[in-house]
Amino acid sequence: MVVVFSLFDADRLPNLARRSGISPTNTMNKEARLKASINQKLTETGERDRLKELLRAKLTECGWKDQMKAQCKDVIKQKGLEHVTVEDLVVEVTPKGRALVPDSVKKELLQRIRAFLTQHAS
Amino acid sequence: MKMEEKPLSGPDNTRLEALIQDVYSELVEDACLGLCFEVHRAVKQGYFFLDETDQDSIKEFEIVDQPGVDIFGQVFNQWKNKECECPNCKRLIAASRFAPHLEKCLGMGRNSSRIANRRLATNNNISKSESDQEDNDDLNDNDWSYGAEKKAKKRRPDKNQNSPRRSKSLKHKNGELGTSLSSDPYKQYNYNAGISYESLGPNEIRSLLTTQCGVISEHTKRMCTRSHRCPQHTDDQRRAIRLFLLGPSVPTLPDADVEGDSFDIPNGQALLSRLQWEDFPDVSPTDSASSKASKEMSTPSIKPKPEDLGFINKCIRFSHRHQSFRFQEAQKEEEVGSELEQWRRRSKYDWSQQQQLSE
Repeated sequence: MVVVFSLFDADRLPNLARRSGISPTNTMNKEARLKASINQKLTETGERDRLKELLRAKLTECGWKDQMKAQCKDVIKQKGLEHVTVEDLVVEVTPKGRALVPDSVKKELLQRIRAFLTQHAS
Repeated sequence: MKMEEKPLSGPDNTRLEALIQDVYSELVEDACLGLCFEVHRAVKQGYFFLDETDQDSIKEFEIVDQPGVDIFGQVFNQWKNKECECPNCKRLIAASRFAPHLEKCLGMGRNSSRIANRRLATNNNISKSESDQEDNDDLNDNDWSYGAEKKAKKRRPDKNQNSPRRSKSLKHKNGELGTSLSSDPYKQYNYNAGISYESLGPNEIRSLLTTQCGVISEHTKRMCTRSHRCPQHTDDQRRAIRLFLLGPSVPTLPDADVEGDSFDIPNGQALLSRLQWEDFPDVSPTDSASSKASKEMSTPSIKPKPEDLGFINKCIRFSHRHQSFRFQEAQKEEEVGSELEQWRRRSKYDWSQQQQLSE
């Protein structure tokens, strides 16, 4: 898990750099183009929607959704029913949601993405 | 695409993993965002906390997960032990047997109404029926009625045994109420206790009178339940009771009975004449039986008394229906035969005496 997260964080950096409009280096530019083409492929083939649906079903099945709702409840009670915003919820809940995804679901999803990439790389 | 192939297939395996992780995290974030939108909408619409309750009710309606009880913490086969009290007879009946019991007890069902009516009719005068039964027993000692009684007693329990349910309930009743004889309808019925005619409707009386003797006893005020040929009562008594109960317009006795009576008399005469043929072999059998009978009756030495003739008639009449009377009939024949034999001897003697005197 530690390795995965470190990789993940390292990977996010160019993404953030691109979003924030910082001029990317040459390699970063390559990286960004690669990502863009992969995203395009995922959307074009409809694989992204399929993956989304699969993830939603798996998470509901294993109780992740109920755990997340409980987290949301805590946040709402903390902030007050009237004053809570979507931003508050996303900021508070997303890190926990990422951590709460069961390993089996994560593995299955990664497997599917890898299979897709290797299939469409050639 | 060629550009992408190189980094993916070469030593940059970590870059591929990084891309995969990137896609995955995007998907998870997407799911989180969707959930956040959902929750936020629920909060603003006011239905997010609808399923929340206070602690007391949570405790009260907590789902019980224990063996032998349902989710409410109740024993689920409780109903097996439930008992209901019968509103009619005040006994406790198992809930599963309550409906069949009520059918019998109230007499609402198809089969039970007959029994229940009879019970209602007989329950009114329990003590009387007891004494009546004793009276009947005394009268039943009469040999003539024995066969009929036996037949009736045999047939009625058979009827009951046709239905296993009824016979079972009968057993049950005998077990519980063995001491109180009067509460058992079958016993009363079998003992031929009689029916109190006041409790019956006109149609019931009519149907009863077509099948039964129906003469009302002076002692018990109950109707005789034997057949039309019951030896305790005479035809006159039967006619009188039909006149009394049904009025003069109704035929006094069914045709079958009248036929039987009209048939019996020549039969008896035939018997007598047959006996006489043996006595007088010179008389041809083609002669009419009645004339011979009248001829013989005119002879003072063998003329049977009127009661005897009735006796013989009765004997013959029963012999048609009951095998057991054959023996008795034969006995009577023998009696009559021996009487005739005596007379013959005496008459021979007289005749020879007369011959001697004339000589």
